[in-house]
Amino acid sequence: MSAGAEPAPLPAPPLRQRRWIPVIALAAVLAAVTSGGYLTSDALGEVRDGAVAVGTSVRVTPFPGWELAGRSTDPDRVRLTSGSTSLDVAAFPFDGTDVDLLGWYVDNILEPEAEQFRVSEEVEPVRLASGLTGSRIAYVGLFGDVQAPIEGEVTAVVSPTGQGVIFNGWAPAGQLQFEIDEIDAMIERAEIA
Amino acid sequence: MAERRGGRLAIEPQVVRMPRNWGRQTSLFQWRQPAFWLYAAIVVVAAVYTVSQQQLFQKLSPSGWALSWGLLLLYGLPLFLAIYLLDLYEREPMSLVLGALVWGGVAATVLAGIANEGWGLVVARLGGPVFAAEWTAALTAPFVEETVKVAGVVLIYLIARDEMDDIMDGFVYGAMVGLGFTLVEDVFYFIAIFGGSPGGVLAGFYVRVVSSGFYGHVLYTGLSGMGVAYFVSRRGEVAFGRRLAVALGLFGSAVAAHFLWNSPFLNFFPSSVDNVGDWLRIPFAAAVKGAPLLLFVVVMVRLARRRERMWLETALRSEVDSPWLSEVELRVLLDPSARRRSRREMRARAGDAAARLLKRLQQEQINLAMVRARAASEDGPELVRQRALCASLRDALLAMPGAALAGTRREG
Repeated sequence: MSAGAEPAPLPAPPLRQRRWIPVIALAAVLAAVTSGGYLTSDALGEVRDGAVAVGTSVRVTPFPGWELAGRSTDPDRVRLTSGSTSLDVAAFPFDGTDVDLLGWYVDNILEPEAEQFRVSEEVEPVRLASGLTGSRIAYVGLFGDVQAPIEGEVTAVVSPTGQGVIFNGWAPAGQLQFEIDEIDAMIERAEIA
Repeated sequence: MAERRGGRLAIEPQVVRMPRNWGRQTSLFQWRQPAFWLYAAIVVVAAVYTVSQQQLFQKLSPSGWALSWGLLLLYGLPLFLAIYLLDLYEREPMSLVLGALVWGGVAATVLAGIANEGWGLVVARLGGPVFAAEWTAALTAPFVEETVKVAGVVLIYLIARDEMDDIMDGFVYGAMVGLGFTLVEDVFYFIAIFGGSPGGVLAGFYVRVVSSGFYGHVLYTGLSGMGVAYFVSRRGEVAFGRRLAVALGLFGSAVAAHFLWNSPFLNFFPSSVDNVGDWLRIPFAAAVKGAPLLLFVVVMVRLARRRERMWLETALRSEVDSPWLSEVELRVLLDPSARRRSRREMRARAGDAAARLLKRLQQEQINLAMVRARAASEDGPELVRQRALCASLRDALLAMPGAALAGTRREG
């Protein structure tokens, strides 16, 4: 081929083939937009202080030895675990006080799930590092297929923006006492918008 | 093109290039187009979610849900017609227009809901919950929602490429996508955010429709749609780089306007509504954020309509002074209000039947412009047929007593 010769242009792909290209590109863009946030969020992982986000309004920093065991949406929920002990954190809009939220959670979530259920008579007030206040109760019960009784502690907080947050720390009866301080500390340091 | 000659601004005659496919009508249901199947698959899957969500809303608040849709139909139906009728000369096929509306209301809302959630997690992880509470709506929704909505306009184009031959077409399809999106989103807001009681729904209607209904998704996606239409309809007329820049610029304007709306910037909305003054402040606050975009879109639409008018004139100029079109009739055709006025005059002078016939004649004369735009030769069979149709309608009109006095004079 001489230096000045123009290379022969490639023939255009057949029309049928070209009809697919923009469609595939558009499908890829839609897939990237809809799933990109979740993938990026997972990739970011525990980068920032190892904090775990619950929806867009809550962040909990697990203690060493605790890790993210599960995440679900509707409502936004995460489960942190140290192995034998778990801390479930759920966030959703709530119109009411932290005591209302606590009562609602016990009546509608915990009690219906339990075969036997007992809850502490006194509601303990709590204060987070951010200044938000909440309410806490302790419970023990038999849940679902689990043979051993479960012991737990539920803390409810409602932020000024109307975000209700439930912290449910639980473990097989007798084991919670070993990790309750870490659970309380994680709750106290939780960031809630 | 304008240039200075001897100190005066001289206007060169503008070369108006006719779109080859003007007037062609294509349906949404293009079974051989891959784009149709992508559209259908996404809409069907999203519809399952949309229907279940609406069922949930109906269960939560039957009266609130019914009131929401009733009020939104009062707002949506006139807006639908206004958008549809904006294109003065070539109305888009109804199946494609409804396809755009369905994409906005079903597919875009569901895709945006999923995507907003995911990108919201990213904002929360990077900025923390306090930052996220204030900024998530501004940093996720404008990018996510404008992308999934404009994807509907692109799909409509890929399904029926012939139909998007001018910027106005892009506006119509984009605005329809935006209208579908805003209607379904409003129901969500009325039930989930404003409480779903009849009082809550009315409050939501006041805030989101009465106060802010002129701004929002219809304008955003209308603007993005104009960009898509500019990119695809000016091929061979404008360089690729410029077309891309204009399309991205219009899409960016839509994103920026949406960002401003969702951000804390220029936020004059009351934090709580306690008295009449607070209620009155809401439309003012909405206007501060939304009116500049509305003004911009109005200017863009007027420019697009002017261009369509030039096309019509270019196409019909050589048909004037013929048995099927007079100079007077062309002038009337170019001015929508004059067209309406001429029909009113005809009705007064010659009755309803004559007015209906004049309307038909005007429509066929516009169709003549479209047939002419895509005719390969001066005596193509379709063009000859259309001329004959116009001539026969004109003859029939002139034969009606009193009709000739209404500005339709036999020429040639």
